[in-house]
Amino acid sequence: MADMLSNRPASESASLPQTSASWLWQAVTGVGLILLASLHMIAHHFVAAGGLRDYASVVDYLRNPLIIVLEVLFLIVVTTHALLGVRAILFDFGLSEMAEKRTMQALWVLGMLTVGYGLWLTWTIIRSA
Amino acid sequence: MATLHDSKLKRAAQWADVRGRGLGMWAYALNRLTGLGLVVYLYLHLVVLSQLTKGPSAWDGFVALARTRLFLTLDVVLLAGLLIHGLNGLRVTLNGFGLGVRSQKTLFIALMAVAAIALIVGAVMIYGK
Repeated sequence: MADMLSNRPASESASLPQTSASWLWQAVTGVGLILLASLHMIAHHFVAAGGLRDYASVVDYLRNPLIIVLEVLFLIVVTTHALLGVRAILFDFGLSEMAEKRTMQALWVLGMLTVGYGLWLTWTIIRSA
Repeated sequence: MATLHDSKLKRAAQWADVRGRGLGMWAYALNRLTGLGLVVYLYLHLVVLSQLTKGPSAWDGFVALARTRLFLTLDVVLLAGLLIHGLNGLRVTLNGFGLGVRSQKTLFIALMAVAAIALIVGAVMIYGK
């Protein structure tokens, strides 16, 4: 990815395609986020009166099954994209193979905890009212 | 050992040093900086959302705080980060798939102009609520 953005002449950059699975996932989730984050921002901050939903409005909004699917998808996609970005920065430290493996494991655990927390939060909000 | 450690740190931080570098490196650094900011925001956002589990008074109290001028300004900063990272990331993705590689600098300038316009519109909407 760095090569695509460096000061190399365009012809040289074009000869260096990036094919790693992580980069591809980063790109796919990034494109998905343009749609999902836009929807999230519009629904929660631009459409909502006063720029932020009150408690009753949040509960009402989350009771729509389609919204639940979109919000959970948003949570999974944004977490994946964020942690792949963190991975890229950490790997720039020139980690050993073992350290890279451990970093990946730690990021997987963090990702699972993040999504798990988000799911718990959603479930708790829906059930609370 | 210290030298090895220092060189790894230097290598890892190389992307952030844009002194004397071209527009491509600025774009790359900007993408990473906004990405890191958004990762921090993601986790802060998840922590704040825990207020929803404490019932209407806790959440609505936070909403009142979030409608203050300071928080609205932070919303504008968030929107700037999302627009810059999202549109710059879209360019990186297109370039990664071999699209627009030769005109990547023009594309970067054009997308940042779009981001600036969208930010102005968004800021007007945020402060106008």
